[in-house]
Amino acid sequence: MKNEIHSMKLDRRTVIKTAVAAGVAQIASPFVITARAADAIKIGMVDPLTGAYAAVAQNEVIGAKFAVEQINAKGGVLGRPLELLVEDSANDVGTGVQKTRKLIERDQVSFIIGDVNSGVAQAMAQVTAEKKILHIVSGGHTDGITGKDCKWNLFRVCNTTRMEANSVSDILFNKYGKKWHFITPDYAFGHTLQQAGLANLKRLGGTMTGNELTPLGTTDYSAYLIKARAANPDVLLVLPQGSDMVNCLKQIAQFGIDKQIHVAGLQQELESLESMPPEARVGIWMFEWYWKQPGVAGVEQFVADIRKRSNGKVPTARTWFGFTSVQTYALVANQEKSLDAVKLAKALGNFELPAEVKLQPNKVYYRAGDHQLMTSSFVGEALQKPAGDPEDLFRVDQVVAGDKVSPAESETGCTLQWPA
Amino acid sequence: MLQLLLFNVTNGLIIGAFYVLMALGLSLILNLSNVINFAHGGFLVVGGYIAYTITPYVGFWGALLIAPPLTAAIGLLVERVLIRPLYGRDPLYSLLLTFGLAFIFEDGTRFIWGAQGKPVTVPAFLAQPLSNEFFFITGYRLFMVATVAVAVTLLFVLLRYTRLGIRIRAGTLDLETVSALGVNVGLLRSLNFAAGIYLAGLSGVLAAGQLGLEPTMGAGLLMPSFIAIIVGGIGSLTGTLLGGLLIGVASGITAVFLPAASEAIMYVLMAVVLLIRPRGLLGEEGMMT
Repeated sequence: MKNEIHSMKLDRRTVIKTAVAAGVAQIASPFVITARAADAIKIGMVDPLTGAYAAVAQNEVIGAKFAVEQINAKGGVLGRPLELLVEDSANDVGTGVQKTRKLIERDQVSFIIGDVNSGVAQAMAQVTAEKKILHIVSGGHTDGITGKDCKWNLFRVCNTTRMEANSVSDILFNKYGKKWHFITPDYAFGHTLQQAGLANLKRLGGTMTGNELTPLGTTDYSAYLIKARAANPDVLLVLPQGSDMVNCLKQIAQFGIDKQIHVAGLQQELESLESMPPEARVGIWMFEWYWKQPGVAGVEQFVADIRKRSNGKVPTARTWFGFTSVQTYALVANQEKSLDAVKLAKALGNFELPAEVKLQPNKVYYRAGDHQLMTSSFVGEALQKPAGDPEDLFRVDQVVAGDKVSPAESETGCTLQWPA
Repeated sequence: MLQLLLFNVTNGLIIGAFYVLMALGLSLILNLSNVINFAHGGFLVVGGYIAYTITPYVGFWGALLIAPPLTAAIGLLVERVLIRPLYGRDPLYSLLLTFGLAFIFEDGTRFIWGAQGKPVTVPAFLAQPLSNEFFFITGYRLFMVATVAVAVTLLFVLLRYTRLGIRIRAGTLDLETVSALGVNVGLLRSLNFAAGIYLAGLSGVLAAGQLGLEPTMGAGLLMPSFIAIIVGGIGSLTGTLLGGLLIGVASGITAVFLPAASEAIMYVLMAVVLLIRPRGLLGEEGMMT
């Protein structure tokens, strides 16, 4: 080493310090475990608390924790309290699988929730199926989860990409125009969402002027936007999510593209709208759940309860996903008076959520054939100026029932194989 | 098609200018101290969040002036307390340390400011495109390029014409001899590290205006900067400048023909340069061996 001034050595003290640190880590772990309630029913949640999806994942955890609190206050499940163990998948398939195994094998959880990332969720499902543990995917949208890769133990709360595209395509076509240009994140979720949007566009008789595949984590969209504008479409559909979407919409606003071309998308989230400057909040979108629903039973109370637990922030669709996942387990377990995964999974077929859990106008239920929750789409427009409350950044124009936009069970490609 | 190509070349130069600013900071630290600073993206994020925090009190321009030196002060503290004890050891130690620091910065910013992204508003007159035809050249992007040009010029003046700069350049070539001549090498390394982190802080403020803020944004901006250094040649700041612009333009051109490969092209370019000229475009043989 050329620039070395001091000498290199691994001294005795360093070795001792490392050994002490390793020792403390060994002791600390069992201590945490013994501190837990002995008779509690343990449920596990694996979500990307760090990385690009941290904001949405943390909201899912807030919702799940509130559900546990509410359930325990009402006597728990089968007379026992629920205990929620949360693990960070770090947005990584390997880590997600490892944490799922740890929760099942070491912590003995009887139910698993997760993940926001579709790829991680699908990998986790392999483990939960192998271990015969009931599993609800709270926030991974790719179609396969309740489609060709469906499993007897696997359920999903959030919409499929087909449901998302179907809920908003006709409105975009009729209101904005028939030439569409897509900006698509280059991974499973983006591909299925774009394919669903394109299928609808073709059905309606429109044309695609181009599809820009952008790597996950793209920070600069200018090159794609230059190409998209040159194609002169009627509508520019922005399909990336999270910080990618924020960056893309910010740059669209900076370049003034939204003044010449209609900008819209097939899925939008409050976390993203709150991360954008006002001028970037444009276009027609769908939300999977929205906090402002005047006159709908239980919503106002739910919003107030979550605000108390999240520094005054309103619940988002993600908060509701986490809440609903835990409530589903408690409801079906108490109904069946059992924790047996096969029994509960069978009982969840066509299981309808009560008003205090569904928190929306239409009938909300898990389909028996593919285990997909038939939840509503909240279609409307992003607001540059908040409508009263600073977090009211979306105007809901219509709430479409889940089974009106979902493909039939026979079209999903799902064949459930039940254990013998 | 030709117009589209020209648009993207210009656009690539604008993006490349930003990579240059990041890469020069990295390069300064690497050249003198042999520290591969994986926490550079973390410092960028800290700089951006500091600017976000103080903007309501001092405005955008005040934040642009104050946030980078505050980030440099944090960098100085990190260098004195954590990195200095590792100078005598294999560079792998400082690499692992800064790799860990990058995670700490990311989680720290998430803990303090929350996981949700923060919008940063730039002065209204900078937020407009220059013309309808050149819509991708906004006032803010031009301002970024101008800031980078000023910062790079000042850095080169500092290194060429000041006593400190001459010592840094001499130290880059042979730190032991510089030390033997009575120069306080510890102080030299600290000031050099602070200068590198100042550039990271400045990059953070500029990036915040362009992209908004998010705890993970540093990681995405760090890799192109490393590639700029390798392509340009380790040890050469002019090479870093060239490398940054080159990968920006390559990325811009690829976006016209094969959009999905517009990020991968940087790695392809790096591989080609390393195969043909392992020392990088302007690198000196034997640096970092």
